[in-house]
Amino acid sequence: MSGYDQKVAPRREESSGYDQKVAPRREETSCYDQKVAPRREDRLKSCIALSGGVCGMGGRAKGCMLDDGERGFTQGSICLLLVALAILDSLPETVVLVHGAVGCGSCAHSQNANTRSGGAARFGQGKDAIWLSTALNEVDVISGAEGKLKEAILEADRRYRPKSLAVVSGCVPGLIGDDIDSVILEVQPQVSARLLPVHCEGFKTRIWATAYDAVYHGIGRSLLEERNPDPARAPLTAEAEQAQRVEQERLGRTVNLMNVSSMGRVDELELERLLQALGLEANLFPVFAHPDSFHKATRAALSVSTCPTHDDYFLKQLQEQFGVPYLIKRMPIGIRNTSLWLKDIAGHFGLDAAVERLIDAEEREVRAALAPFRELFRGKKVYLSAGEFRALVTAQLLEELGLEVCGIRMFHHDAFADDEYGKLAATATQDYTIGVANCQPFEEANLLKKLKPDLFLGHVNGNGTAARLGIPTHTIYNTGLAYIGYRGAFEVARRLHRTLRNPAFNRKLSAWAELPYQEAWYGSDPFAYLDQRKEAL
Amino acid sequence: MSAHFIERPRGTCSLGGATFAVNALPGGIPILHAPAGCAGSFAWAQNGGSALQVGGNCGPLAIPSSNLQEHEVVFGGDARLRQQVANTLKVVAGELYVILTSCVTEIVGDDILSVVRDFQAQGVSILGAHTGGFKGNAYQGYDLVLQTLFHDFVRPAQPKRGKVNLWGVAPGLDPFWRGNLRGVRALLESLGLEVNAFFTLEDTLEGIRAAGEAELNIVVSDVYGLEAAALAQERHGTPWLATGLPIGPSACGDFLRAVAGRLELAPAVAEAALRRGGRDYYKTLESLTDCYQDMDLQRYAVVVGDANYAGALTRFLAEDLGWLPELTVCTDPLGPEDQARVQARLGAVQGFAPHLVFETDGSEVLGHLNRRWPNGQGRRYHDSFSPAFMLGSSLERELAQSLGAPHLSISFPVANRAILDRGYAGFRNGLTLVEDLVSAIVAGR
Repeated sequence: MSGYDQKVAPRREESSGYDQKVAPRREETSCYDQKVAPRREDRLKSCIALSGGVCGMGGRAKGCMLDDGERGFTQGSICLLLVALAILDSLPETVVLVHGAVGCGSCAHSQNANTRSGGAARFGQGKDAIWLSTALNEVDVISGAEGKLKEAILEADRRYRPKSLAVVSGCVPGLIGDDIDSVILEVQPQVSARLLPVHCEGFKTRIWATAYDAVYHGIGRSLLEERNPDPARAPLTAEAEQAQRVEQERLGRTVNLMNVSSMGRVDELELERLLQALGLEANLFPVFAHPDSFHKATRAALSVSTCPTHDDYFLKQLQEQFGVPYLIKRMPIGIRNTSLWLKDIAGHFGLDAAVERLIDAEEREVRAALAPFRELFRGKKVYLSAGEFRALVTAQLLEELGLEVCGIRMFHHDAFADDEYGKLAATATQDYTIGVANCQPFEEANLLKKLKPDLFLGHVNGNGTAARLGIPTHTIYNTGLAYIGYRGAFEVARRLHRTLRNPAFNRKLSAWAELPYQEAWYGSDPFAYLDQRKEAL
Repeated sequence: MSAHFIERPRGTCSLGGATFAVNALPGGIPILHAPAGCAGSFAWAQNGGSALQVGGNCGPLAIPSSNLQEHEVVFGGDARLRQQVANTLKVVAGELYVILTSCVTEIVGDDILSVVRDFQAQGVSILGAHTGGFKGNAYQGYDLVLQTLFHDFVRPAQPKRGKVNLWGVAPGLDPFWRGNLRGVRALLESLGLEVNAFFTLEDTLEGIRAAGEAELNIVVSDVYGLEAAALAQERHGTPWLATGLPIGPSACGDFLRAVAGRLELAPAVAEAALRRGGRDYYKTLESLTDCYQDMDLQRYAVVVGDANYAGALTRFLAEDLGWLPELTVCTDPLGPEDQARVQARLGAVQGFAPHLVFETDGSEVLGHLNRRWPNGQGRRYHDSFSPAFMLGSSLERELAQSLGAPHLSISFPVANRAILDRGYAGFRNGLTLVEDLVSAIVAGR
């Protein structure tokens, strides 16, 4: 690849040295004392507007952060409120009360499909999520809406009798100065639901991964205390003492398996299967976890992230307050990364020999199963676009399948995935473009016209650009399809194989469908609008 | 109903409805002056509610948006908007750009109209509308876009005989919007009229600019787009006629007569169109006759829908299909005047007295039904609400299940059907509705 038009963002040496294995710093442990989780721009120096090459990204000193850019032309994207609702809507017996205008939370119509299918897969029955809106109007904006919120909480508690009730604030309360935390403090004694404040004022952060911190912040402050403690925990009799010993032994091999809302039950089953093969038990958390079961996370022997972008905020709390150590380094997508993920866990429990046997058998089996697909994949160029960690590890999976990565775009960049750039740089046959953008399909359209990949993998609502260009596409996550572990590697290969065998839908579509861009735009530098926004300020 | 919240609001906010509308105009490109997440919320609302239709001319996440941050909240977003518009013109191809405001920009108080004027002065085809989300729901956003067109885009003109404008069906919010507009257009064309419907493939920006030439504005809704109709009358002198959404041969017949009457067409014109449509409908329906009788396909029904569907579906079931729609629930949060119009429409149903409730919250519908039709409490002989059918949105599935009733999603949100071109308004589309209802009953056959 030509490496055309690359702009390597300047480095920021002064902020180097971030290492997630170091115990949390004092100022981080105090996050939970604050009402609002800090923005990731501030806490992690995350950024969303960059471009560079994979070799440059992979060759940086570890933890060396980059200056964030700005765009002078932008397209709509998502905010942390959408991401937060994706998690909260999944919690059983939970009401999600969006405090905002009536459109904030309309994303829940899509997420409800996941709540239903995910509930069916886990509990045998899919039920609609319960989300409500205070539907703030002009009067509320002028006179404040704390009173309305208070009444809404009281009425929702009476009507739905939920175990927990999340109050999610949108932009408007942030602008008119509603103090949702004070309202919650005031009404908590009057309601049976546990109230969970989740701050999602979209204009305050452009790193929507801040949503994970905002949700965990609410969970960490409101839901970790056990309700109606198990009587077995207060030993009176010999039987009870015995039961407690059994429970302690079980907890000693229980792992908090941190799931994500984009993960279907099929992926959880794969990881549970692998952990069970090592004699470990999984406590799945937080997506689809019952609010009365959250305290279990405080008693596990280890917490393991399945997506490092997702979990650091909470894992640090579990370690600090409850002494639960954690692993947050890898995502178990792709054969090699799944094996590394398992090795880390096994290492913690001293199960090194067992994991070698497991990995050896699993890898051999899946590689043999993949053999018939390889011929069609060989040498095909693939472009990926998704959340940073997911995009980078999926790229490695595709390389394992025999495809050649020709470009990657991430929704944001932070330090968690630095190792993954290094791995990709090591296998890249030539330098290719890395872009960091919160969607921004105009840049993607420009890049894809130039790169002409044979295959595109993009996020939900992110495949339309490539599809209209006639490129075979596959969604990089669809809650319910298998992506994770050895099973996921096989299923991804199987789906890509059928995608490539008949890409007629996109091919035919491209002959008629138009992308909404000026013809001249395709002749421009794809990153022409990067760093222009400062001119407006 | 709660005075303090809306359960699972059906649709989105005024900015969302306006975005759907602009995105469906010929060559329309919305420019959101908004934080980044608004566009995503609308995309996901469409994904879950618009029967698998996502996007428009530009979308779903390709919509130009100023993506405001704290800086603009503190210092104002005018400069950022100007930059965004200037760059949008360079990157995004459109024929009509429309700046739409959000909650944030309304509260901050950015003066978008001066930005619009400055770009217009350079010859740019651009409009602006105040659509901040706290101003209302998505249907109001749709109305605001039409108002903006009549206020700032439609050129003054003398009425021309035989030309009409048609609206009242909101893109995206009615998952059947394409098919419904096509169905109503066909009715109007059967009267020999020339129709501008703003949002269909047959429409053009030039046709919209000439919308002032219409003799009559026809709004197939008792709520959606009425403010635009009033504004069009004030600015262009065009009278308007609000009808229900004409679903089924009875409603279509009334619609044809009402339009013909207002336009003072020869009575024979409407009667001929009506006879033709009715003949097509019944000649086709006829083949269902044996099975309709033999399989006992008459049903009690609950209808849950927006202000258009609640009345239109109820009327069709009662007057044409011969069902018993015992409870009709309108899920829009409406003011008293809008409620009165929806109520009056249902009050005019012939031969059956529907019972209408205004209720935004789906979980309350069962309570309304139990009050209307008390359950048997285990009595051996009881006139139960059975066999029943549930017409509503996909949020009524759990209720349908508890009633043991088949269910059809029609009103937003429609998560469990793929709709592209299907519509229920108009003579032939009424047959499509019959097909869908009966198919849901016999699916296990």
